[in-house]
Amino acid sequence: MHRYKIADVVFDAKLIYKYTPALCKNYEYSGEEQPVFTAIMTQDDIAYEKALAPEFPEAYLESLALFRKLCDYTLSEVDGIIFHSSAIMVDNEAYLFTAPSGTGKSTHARLWREMLGDRAVMINDDKPIIRYIDGDFYVYGTPWNGKHRLDTNARAKIKAICKIYQAKENTITKADSTEMLLTILNQTIRPTELDKMDKLLNIIDKMLTSVKLYSLGCNISREAAELSYNVMSKGEE
Amino acid sequence: MKIKQGFILREVAGNYIVVAVGSAVKEFNGVINLNETGAFLWKRLQDGAEEEDLVQALLNEYDVEEELARKDVRSFIDKIQGAKLLN
Repeated sequence: MHRYKIADVVFDAKLIYKYTPALCKNYEYSGEEQPVFTAIMTQDDIAYEKALAPEFPEAYLESLALFRKLCDYTLSEVDGIIFHSSAIMVDNEAYLFTAPSGTGKSTHARLWREMLGDRAVMINDDKPIIRYIDGDFYVYGTPWNGKHRLDTNARAKIKAICKIYQAKENTITKADSTEMLLTILNQTIRPTELDKMDKLLNIIDKMLTSVKLYSLGCNISREAAELSYNVMSKGEE
Repeated sequence: MKIKQGFILREVAGNYIVVAVGSAVKEFNGVINLNETGAFLWKRLQDGAEEEDLVQALLNEYDVEEELARKDVRSFIDKIQGAKLLN
């Protein structure tokens, strides 16, 4: 049995393969807090993931199954959702870049790191967890960190969410609420149970009304990073 | 005409969306965005209504020409029929 603390949730996991313990090494937990659930992985869990992504090896699919169980718990119990994005922290505030896969969110986050150096810390480059706590939104690092293996076991208050699209010229505007809603719904796990769906939509409702939302058209350049950082860090409209 | 079971209309941050829950997810796994008129018509179709009922409901609720109301209702029905959300 392994014990982890991810997104401030302590839980136990009984795993079949060795891949997940290696992946989650930085999130092992040996403190005082008691686990709130135990994930016992079965071949059924892995088969479920395999049906969705047949190209991946089973050891990797087990890690996705564990992630799904964790997100199921966070949604039900602690107002936590997965939001597929690149989350980067600068001066203790987090910025989330979202886009369809291959559009360049990881690349844009890398441009920020090149520009800001040590001030910029990757919270997670693929699957961070977002939690709504006492009226504020926080992003948490998770071990499910994307192909560049970038994550930090940390949390930060979310300053802004930015949708990225490719463009020749760099422009940033306030994002349209409808567009951002549809984006978030496509970049999270949508539950099938009615009560959980309502929880998800309730969290997204609060997120869209309380976090600053931007839409960034950008190329791959330092100027693109300067523009998005300057506007978002000042909280400009 | 009636909306199939398992499709729910919700307002999220001022936007109207329809998503599937339960076994309806197997039929439809997307998200439909509706405008205010669409949401108004959807609510009536949840209980079941004919095309003419929807036109009359629009005329009663909004200050709109009959011709436009008929056009709006038709395009709304086409949209949700296209997504196979009607019984």
